[in-house]
Amino acid sequence: MIRYFFSLIFIISSAFAHPHTFIEVFPTIKVKDNNTQSIHFKWMLDEMTSSVLIIEFDQDGDGKITKKENDYAYENFFITLKDYNFYTDIKSKGKTQVFPKPINFKATIENNKVCYSFDIQTQYDTKDLQFDFGDTDFFVAMVLKKEFTKIDGAKTKVSELDNDFYFGYRLELN
Amino acid sequence: MDFLTSFYSSFLKQIVLWQYELNSYISTTIRSINDENNLSVSLLIIGIAFLYGLIHAAGPGHGKALVAFYFTSNKSNYKKAFKMGYMISVTHALSAIIFTFGIYFVLKTMFRRNFHELSSVAMQISAVMIILVGLYLFYEAYKSRRAKELKIEKSSKSELAVAFSAGIVPCPGVMTIVLFCIVLKQFVLGILAAIAMSIGMGLTISLAGILSIALNKKAGGFLDKKGYMLEMVGASLVLILGVFLLLATFSKH
Repeated sequence: MIRYFFSLIFIISSAFAHPHTFIEVFPTIKVKDNNTQSIHFKWMLDEMTSSVLIIEFDQDGDGKITKKENDYAYENFFITLKDYNFYTDIKSKGKTQVFPKPINFKATIENNKVCYSFDIQTQYDTKDLQFDFGDTDFFVAMVLKKEFTKIDGAKTKVSELDNDFYFGYRLELN
Repeated sequence: MDFLTSFYSSFLKQIVLWQYELNSYISTTIRSINDENNLSVSLLIIGIAFLYGLIHAAGPGHGKALVAFYFTSNKSNYKKAFKMGYMISVTHALSAIIFTFGIYFVLKTMFRRNFHELSSVAMQISAVMIILVGLYLFYEAYKSRRAKELKIEKSSKSELAVAFSAGIVPCPGVMTIVLFCIVLKQFVLGILAAIAMSIGMGLTISLAGILSIALNKKAGGFLDKKGYMLEMVGASLVLILGVFLLLATFSKH
């Protein structure tokens, strides 16, 4: 029995990679009358992954991302993450919402780290609003800490998310 | 069962957090290298890279699955599990170094996209090889049944095939460290860190093999002269793993 369990664990677990990229998530959300007024996300990628991306993005090597380089980063890297739901599941009133198309995308380089900033426009009722951050393929590890969040107008809770075979974080508003 | 699932989740969470910390620590430390602290900091990085490899491989991965299944189907000893782990490490390190230096210096641009394409091809080669290893293990189990010989040991050719199929896919974690060092012009340190990380990963992979051998010994004794059945189970698992990985390479990645 133990042997079968052992084998089963390996079969299931081999379907998943282990994380190679770490992304710190900084959400800024404004709430008024139990509705979100603005939702802004900033992702800060780990320094090693950033070093690879900087080679790609910063074509002129000036340490900054120009408008043209920003467009390139958006089209070739960021928007492809829609296949992964931008590593974010939004749940409102118990139902999973389709992740809206991000707008105002901006890639920057801060302290040798690549940052992606973007907004989502959809308004949500903040009653039982949840943001689950994590990569189901477990290739990317999303990291959220209470001090990373800036939430104006609602109570928040940050918790660890146990998804059995990958690990993430949950931001709850109410 | 709940306890095991809960333990596995906690374990997974912990290794992710350790990797997050180590990843950040390694990159900050490599950046801090200067002429005065070169040797001491380099040694520190090599030590941390070993630890990072040890923890990195503790997460889910096809290498451990393959080794575990192989030793389920093969009567062996713990020494061979270590040998297998380190053969995989060597292949892994070489593959990561060759891929990274090759892509960086030959192709120069479009690193990430080329990396994805190349690693996808490498994964397909690996999957086909794993399928072939599975078929070979089936053949050996069939021979074992016919001969009623329970103490057959697989030839070293099959061990090499397993090591090569598990190691040929370069670990993006190792590649990222190598590339990071290349960007900072720390070429030798990049190679040494890749080797140290691969040795750490090899040790963890060896432990998966040892666990599998221990289970095999218990189950083998229980099955007595029907030991070939266990070999058939192991061969099936290797085969399923290969097919699964091959299908995965044709999916969204």
